[in-house]
Amino acid sequence: MHEERAAIPKLGVGLAYQPALRPFLESRGDAFDYLEVVPDILWTDLGVGSTPRYLDDSGGIDFLRRVAAGRPIVPHGIGLSIGTAHRFNRGQLDQIEKWHGWFQFPWHSDHLAWNLAEHGVDELNAGVTLPLPRDRETLEALAPRVAEVRGRLPVPFLLENNVYFFTMPGEQMSDAEFLNTLCTETGCGLLLDLHNVYCNARNHRTDPYRLLSELDLTNVAEIHVAGGMEHEGWYLDAHSGPLPEPVWELLRHCLPRCPNLGGVTFEMLGSWYVEMGADRLAEELDALREAWHRDQPAPAPWAEVGC
Amino acid sequence: MLSAAAFQAVFARLVIDPDFRDDVRARGAAALAAELTDLERERLLFVAADSGMDVTRTLHKGFRLSKLLGQLPLTCAALGKEALAREVAEFWRQNPPVSFYYLAEAVAFCDFLLARLEEGMEFPTPYLAEVVAWERAGLELQRPRAAGVAPPLQIVEFTHDPLPLLIALGRGEPVEPIERPCLMIGGYEGGKVEWRLAEAD
Repeated sequence: MHEERAAIPKLGVGLAYQPALRPFLESRGDAFDYLEVVPDILWTDLGVGSTPRYLDDSGGIDFLRRVAAGRPIVPHGIGLSIGTAHRFNRGQLDQIEKWHGWFQFPWHSDHLAWNLAEHGVDELNAGVTLPLPRDRETLEALAPRVAEVRGRLPVPFLLENNVYFFTMPGEQMSDAEFLNTLCTETGCGLLLDLHNVYCNARNHRTDPYRLLSELDLTNVAEIHVAGGMEHEGWYLDAHSGPLPEPVWELLRHCLPRCPNLGGVTFEMLGSWYVEMGADRLAEELDALREAWHRDQPAPAPWAEVGC
Repeated sequence: MLSAAAFQAVFARLVIDPDFRDDVRARGAAALAAELTDLERERLLFVAADSGMDVTRTLHKGFRLSKLLGQLPLTCAALGKEALAREVAEFWRQNPPVSFYYLAEAVAFCDFLLARLEEGMEFPTPYLAEVVAWERAGLELQRPRAAGVAPPLQIVEFTHDPLPLLIALGRGEPVEPIERPCLMIGGYEGGKVEWRLAEAD
């Protein structure tokens, strides 16, 4: 993975795609350097055993091609459920492989979590990313799956640190120890979601800078930033508008310390775009670019580094 | 079932099924599957009692409810808050979440409501069946299909004048239904759903 990390191109500042952002993407195309896309929303999975299993949204994919206009499309999946114990969702990998044929993305990512579980003869989809115990057993279950993902696609594979609302008794590792060991032993990279770091620190009254000081930041290939909100005493990763100041501070702390960083992606739910507006969103992306340029090399034109 | 899979099956049930969570909190380890390890059992009992499970469940419910509110705005409006809460709770009790997709969940909820109406369940509005059938037909027209496969024409029978009814519901205004037996015929043309009104024979 070390060679892979060194090869991660410096893309700059990305925007997470949401259908509600289409007007912004069409009118403010110069506001972002790459587009991150949850690919699962541009296909329909008809379920295991269906033929065909997946139906692609060809109109949505054509839109992406058009608005990306030569800039990278980076997939950030939500459907792999890599931590699910009873099966590995290889159909998702087939889809990501197809996307690589279409978009030649420089890396791809998913969540270090699970959302699929057995339920009698069926399978549940909890619809939320559920945390994995930070144990040796978990790492041993993840390792062959990460190896399979890496074997299928010729670009780095990143896993995103999760939000969690409880810690489980008897966990063997700290967050940092777990993430460092995962990256070292499996060769995956880290998608460091700083808003998730902030949520966990705020909800569990821990020091986010201690986590960052213990993390091997050479593993970080992408950073996510977002806004959130309070709900009944909990702070939620709601992707609801601009970054709160503590997340800006975490970002400013990390940017000079992540030598293999490829990009910083701003995530916002489409429903918040109406409230935030195009100008405010463009300002946030501008500010992220300023922060990027203070500590990271200028992004190379994708045509020079891409395929 | 391997214990890790059993652990996740129970964990997911704690998230989606409040009755099961109450049972685990009341009966402790006796409510849990036998194939779990001691540590897994300890963890499940801990998370069942932890307030973090409340917020996890809130997020799960919020995501699931957003599918219905987003895909079936007029059905939700026609139900009203009280009946919507009651019917959603019963729908979720009978139908565990199996799909990530909004359309599949919304169509399943329509079928659930239509079955309840067929069984004679009473609702506060006399036009609910028409609204549910119309929104369901609209979803059917938008259902992703293989290239070249056109959706079947949708015909929805109305006993009330659909235009003032649907417009009022869409605006959140009081509905004054006007009796008018007619049909709404929907097709998918040029990348969008098109409806036309026809008089009933």
